[in-house]
Amino acid sequence: MKPLIAFLGAFVAALLLSGVTAARSQTFQSANCNTATGQPTASLTRDWSQTYSLAAAWEGYQWGGGCWNNNDVDEAPNDPPEHYTGGEGGDCSGLTFKTWQEALNTADGGHYYSHRLRNVHGPYDAARFRDGIGAPNGTISKAYAGVMDGFASSSHVGMIFFRGSGGWDQIIEAKCEACGTNIFSETYRGQSAYGGIRRIGWTG
Amino acid sequence: MKWFAQRRRILVGGASGLACGIAGGIAAVALLAGGASGGAREAGDSFITAGHLPPLLTVPGQRVTLRYAIVCPPAGGDSDAGRPCDGAGIVYIRSGHSGPFEPLALERSAGSVDGRFFADVPSAIASSPEGFSYYAVLRDRAHGTEMTLPAGGAAAPQASFPLRDAVTVDLGSHVFGSPRRASARVVSTQWGTGAGDVGLSGGKTSARIGPSSFDASPDGTVTLLDEINHRVQRWRGGAVVRSVPVDVPAAADDLAAAPDGSVYVLDGRSSAASTPLLRTFAADGRLVAARHIAERSWSQLRLGPSGPVVQQSPSEQWMPTGDATTAFSRAAQARHGDPGRPLDDGSQLVVLRAGMGEVRIARVVNGAVRQAWRITSQTPLGEVQVADRTGARVVLVVKAYTNTQDEFELLVLDGRGVVKRFSVASSEWADAAPLARFRLVGPALYQLGSTPEGAFVDRYDLEGVS
Repeated sequence: MKPLIAFLGAFVAALLLSGVTAARSQTFQSANCNTATGQPTASLTRDWSQTYSLAAAWEGYQWGGGCWNNNDVDEAPNDPPEHYTGGEGGDCSGLTFKTWQEALNTADGGHYYSHRLRNVHGPYDAARFRDGIGAPNGTISKAYAGVMDGFASSSHVGMIFFRGSGGWDQIIEAKCEACGTNIFSETYRGQSAYGGIRRIGWTG
Repeated sequence: MKWFAQRRRILVGGASGLACGIAGGIAAVALLAGGASGGAREAGDSFITAGHLPPLLTVPGQRVTLRYAIVCPPAGGDSDAGRPCDGAGIVYIRSGHSGPFEPLALERSAGSVDGRFFADVPSAIASSPEGFSYYAVLRDRAHGTEMTLPAGGAAAPQASFPLRDAVTVDLGSHVFGSPRRASARVVSTQWGTGAGDVGLSGGKTSARIGPSSFDASPDGTVTLLDEINHRVQRWRGGAVVRSVPVDVPAAADDLAAAPDGSVYVLDGRSSAASTPLLRTFAADGRLVAARHIAERSWSQLRLGPSGPVVQQSPSEQWMPTGDATTAFSRAAQARHGDPGRPLDDGSQLVVLRAGMGEVRIARVVNGAVRQAWRITSQTPLGEVQVADRTGARVVLVVKAYTNTQDEFELLVLDGRGVVKRFSVASSEWADAAPLARFRLVGPALYQLGSTPEGAFVDRYDLEGVS
């Protein structure tokens, strides 16, 4: 009887202690995300990119992040600003990198599909997108920017979901921790802090 | 010997209990974590939304093509990565604004830079003297989902009006660098959390958001939304006269202030799996009502003749969120969608930024254009921040921009052309709600601006415009 009592006592104590410890170290990223490589694809259409980016809506914002599921819940809200905590969501440049199917190798302009749960941010911050750095990235005159082209400043980047009737744009963007990721109306097109950017190599 | 054997069994039992417990604890947490994120929809799950830019105002001889982006998952899910979905749709269209609609199947184009799906409007309809109206039913054929755009369908279709006798104004090329000085600085604050400060979020590597919206009243009181510090400040005579806490997200929210002191705040957060929330606060900051808007996103909130009105997307329609006695459901808002912002005299002001450098404005009375303007510019024009009527005139504030410069252009328009014109520095160091940079109150134009030091509200007196 005593060995059984010892087993049960140790089991319960270990269950609680290890559970608490594991819960403390568990993040959305460590529990859900993977480090798979991007898969080459032949196509990259603007409307597919709209669909892909929209899956990130309501999944939150994570500074430095690039992994989210598709259940419309931010599972790691209220992170401190400009800190990576392993929470759910992309940041602005992580969302753009994955939506534009880019490679980690900045000299590679090909199309590489990343599953939502692939935890990758990519090598570009907003300023590098603004400057058209990397083989897949270019700049464009803002007046000509169309669906899923984008606007980038030194601190933020978003993509054009569709034009608005009064000269603003509906932008799909990972905007801020409190804002989350979604389609927001924005006036980046007319702001001199923002430059026009484009993915080179759309197939339709 | 027996004692040792007994001890050994107890030790073994305890050790195996520890091992099983550790494994069980980790497994339980992993399962719980998975469960929390579980239920995640996979790529094949269906959803549908759309983008569409309605041709609200047309000019004589204009060929009209209706273009739609249909956004839905590709038929093969992840294995079809990069490929568009299997979309289709029918536009129901009619000449004028009453009577039966006729169907027009959407065609599919090779590219999607302006929306993949399109329909050319027959010239007999496009050139109808009353304009035309239409709505679309869009489908994801692979998954069977569909949506109606605008959501009000036949009850509140998109409307397009012809501009026949529009007053034309050619702005030429915008001359940057000579903005007018404000008549007065009525709010001046620094970034911070103290009394009279305003909050700033973001930083060097994330979007900066300052006070996201404001409103002004005829007595000169400015109501400033300091959403980062979760409060509304009221300024008069250059000082804060009242500050009340409000429970709003620290995002780019919009605000409209009512004459009785209550304020409406439309949230700039991505509400989980729903549409943005419009909250009503009493003058003391008490939350008195909250309702979701009809559509997925918004561009501006204003106070209409009967309560708050919101321009919503993807329809681009103005929708009332209620009247004096009733808060409208999402469906009721959609049924009341209109192409223009309702004015106090019962007319609507319809605005379209066309091409790269043109703004079209029409005052519509009882379904017909009463007054219209076409403003063209060699310099690209961005967003229309203000299109509002004061007396018999219309005040327009629109962004003029190049790839490296930007300023606001202010025009006061009457039935013959431009009455007054000047430039205003953009002063957009921190982000705000998209169309919350200006408010027109009678002959006073107020501007919300920001610098690295703080935020301000300037007043420009438009003498003699009414």
